[in-house]
Amino acid sequence: MNRTERLPTVSAAVNMHTGELHNALRRDEAAWRLRFMLLIVLLIVLFLVALVLGSVNIPLDQIVRVLLGGEAERASWTSIIMQVRLPRALTALLAGAALGAAGLLMQTFFRNPLASPDVLGVNSGASLGVALVVLSTGVVGTSLLAGIGLAGDLGLAAAASIGAGLTMLLVLFVARRVRGSTTLLIIGLMIGQLTFAVVSLLLYFSIPERIQAYINWGFGSFGGVTWSQLPILALAVTAGVVLSVALIKPLNALLLGEAYAESMGVGLRRARTGIILSTALLTGAVTAFCGPIAFIGIAVPHLCRGLFRTADHRALLPAALLMGALVAQAAGILAQAPGTDIALPLNAVLSLIGAPVVLFVILRGQ
Amino acid sequence: MSKLLSYVLTLVLLLLLAAPAAAQRGSPVTAGANITDGCAESDDPTVDYFPHEATVMYAEGFQISYYNNYKVILVNEPFADAGFRYEYVLVQCGTTLPEVIEGTQTIGYQVIEVPIQSIVTLSATFLPNLETIGELDALVANDEFDFVYSEAVRARIDAGEMVEVGFPSGIDNELVLDLNPDLIMLNAFSQADLDPLNLLRDEGIPYAANIDYLETSPLGRAEWVKFTAAFFNREEEANTFFTEVEGAYNQLTALTADAEARPTVMVNGLFGDSWFVAGGQSYVARLIADAGGDYLWADDESTGGVPLDFESVLERAADADIWINPNFWFTLADGLTEDERYAEFAPFASGQVYNNNARVTPMGGNDYYEGAVANPHLLLADLIAIFQPSLLPDHALFYYQQLPAE
Repeated sequence: MNRTERLPTVSAAVNMHTGELHNALRRDEAAWRLRFMLLIVLLIVLFLVALVLGSVNIPLDQIVRVLLGGEAERASWTSIIMQVRLPRALTALLAGAALGAAGLLMQTFFRNPLASPDVLGVNSGASLGVALVVLSTGVVGTSLLAGIGLAGDLGLAAAASIGAGLTMLLVLFVARRVRGSTTLLIIGLMIGQLTFAVVSLLLYFSIPERIQAYINWGFGSFGGVTWSQLPILALAVTAGVVLSVALIKPLNALLLGEAYAESMGVGLRRARTGIILSTALLTGAVTAFCGPIAFIGIAVPHLCRGLFRTADHRALLPAALLMGALVAQAAGILAQAPGTDIALPLNAVLSLIGAPVVLFVILRGQ
Repeated sequence: MSKLLSYVLTLVLLLLLAAPAAAQRGSPVTAGANITDGCAESDDPTVDYFPHEATVMYAEGFQISYYNNYKVILVNEPFADAGFRYEYVLVQCGTTLPEVIEGTQTIGYQVIEVPIQSIVTLSATFLPNLETIGELDALVANDEFDFVYSEAVRARIDAGEMVEVGFPSGIDNELVLDLNPDLIMLNAFSQADLDPLNLLRDEGIPYAANIDYLETSPLGRAEWVKFTAAFFNREEEANTFFTEVEGAYNQLTALTADAEARPTVMVNGLFGDSWFVAGGQSYVARLIADAGGDYLWADDESTGGVPLDFESVLERAADADIWINPNFWFTLADGLTEDERYAEFAPFASGQVYNNNARVTPMGGNDYYEGAVANPHLLLADLIAIFQPSLLPDHALFYYQQLPAE
């Protein structure tokens, strides 16, 4: 897709009052509807598949019985479905949708197709929180957390949330003081570098077993979220999604540049804060509960643009939510390596299978 | 089907015949020995259900206190520097736990019915203990088959009697729920290892955090057999075994007490840019001292590994007499392939290089991390034979081997 081809589509999305284009959009909407239906059906199918496949073989009728509120023949099967598979499938759904949307927001905000949800550094903050709890010999981590009254049986998700939350506040604080989005990009990068430095030091002085656990967290997983944590994840993701829906119009305007958006009457400062807050919420929550999962955020917006052939966020945002959830669910299933009792690292599966797919979609679009 | 039915019927008939006989014997069943199979037949608050108790003498990480029908195990911390303790209330199956439980200090204790019938182990160090107390049949799963050395356990694996569930931070919850074991035992190293197990605990599968690896005395580490045994009511077997080990170990230590000429000892090798030597207060340092060696970093204060660079190790150890535990070498040539500068150390030229990999499986299982933990006297005998050969002239190395040039 070269620039002259893309520009009309973009301005079509912005100049919504032009009558001629309005009709064009109507036609688009009909085509979009079909694609949305397809995504939703696929999503439901994969969700069910995720409940059926696992390392333990459970007969289909037993699964249906449990899902309808009954008890399986074996009590352990009920536990497996209700406590392992269902939370895992729901987590994949939420996490995928969140990362897809966050990736879209970032690529539009920075007008850079390489931008991903982790460019703000919120991921890094979460990683630091986890590294402090997992890697440090207790001197740093425990006393630091005891300082904020959180010592004790503190789960990784809590540590990651604190890390992500603090970084989010820092980024928001800085964002109010700097003008260009590039500056923000660099700040996010530097936060990442600083965290990397601290984590490296912690890794260097840590023991192999702790390093293994930290690396394991870095692989990403949808399986670690329990019922007591799921509402927190759902709440954060819902808040982030609602916020991003409210940002659709400024996002469309931003496609033509900040100056243009401002001339269109978009409150740039508020939009910026909104985009950062929404992305940080979505990414922070997912990273806290599932580990750093970068690929969905980069890839899903491209897949959506390829499928919907538009730059209009009224289509792209819901598409990114659905496509993100879809990709996450599929990767989650593949990572379980159905039929075997081994599990593969989620991030590896995502990139191994996702990268060629994205390449295909982009090359076909040329 | 009819075969099964007749089998069940026979079993029921036998039980019916046996029941009056057992009832006639009455409560004395509990007086003689701990119940190692099944539940108590009576629930009598005045009966001491645990006539065999374990007393912890060397281990610092746990304590057990006994009451009539329950015991309380206190683990100082589930992993190093966790900052909180774990408590387990082990109640005799078939009896009722009193409303007020003595000996607990926190409200977050786990109640576990004993004797347990099945166990999942997430570290190979527990395997010899299960063999010692005669409960290998209760082992239904472990973390990684590849790292298992024990022949008895390998036989169970080959016979398809065990399941591989993965290491703690990546455990396969589905498999464990399906197995529904009475207990999971693990070495936790951080909160990341406990998070996944908390879900299983909430589903009624408790876990015991074993911190044997934090013990700095070899006897203390071996004494954790009593911890494992408590869950099976096998204190008697554990006590008998440990008393033997303790006797043998202390006898060997006495041998070296007056040794005049103590060879200087260096340890380990480069790992990337760092040479992790054992801390001066560590398990390895303690073994070297007990075996009559002069550890070159004995003045160090730490109990874990200390990362040093090549020069500082060379500065202190260039003229060492003996070198033990050099990474994964099987020959001196392995060492040269890794880094030719290793030849700068005196033991390299004199051939006084010994590694703890005499007993390994092709897959990577090493008995040094398994059997040697439970049998520190055998390990100590090896090191004495290396440092003070005149004291044990007939000893053939068991866990250790002298590395050949090629």
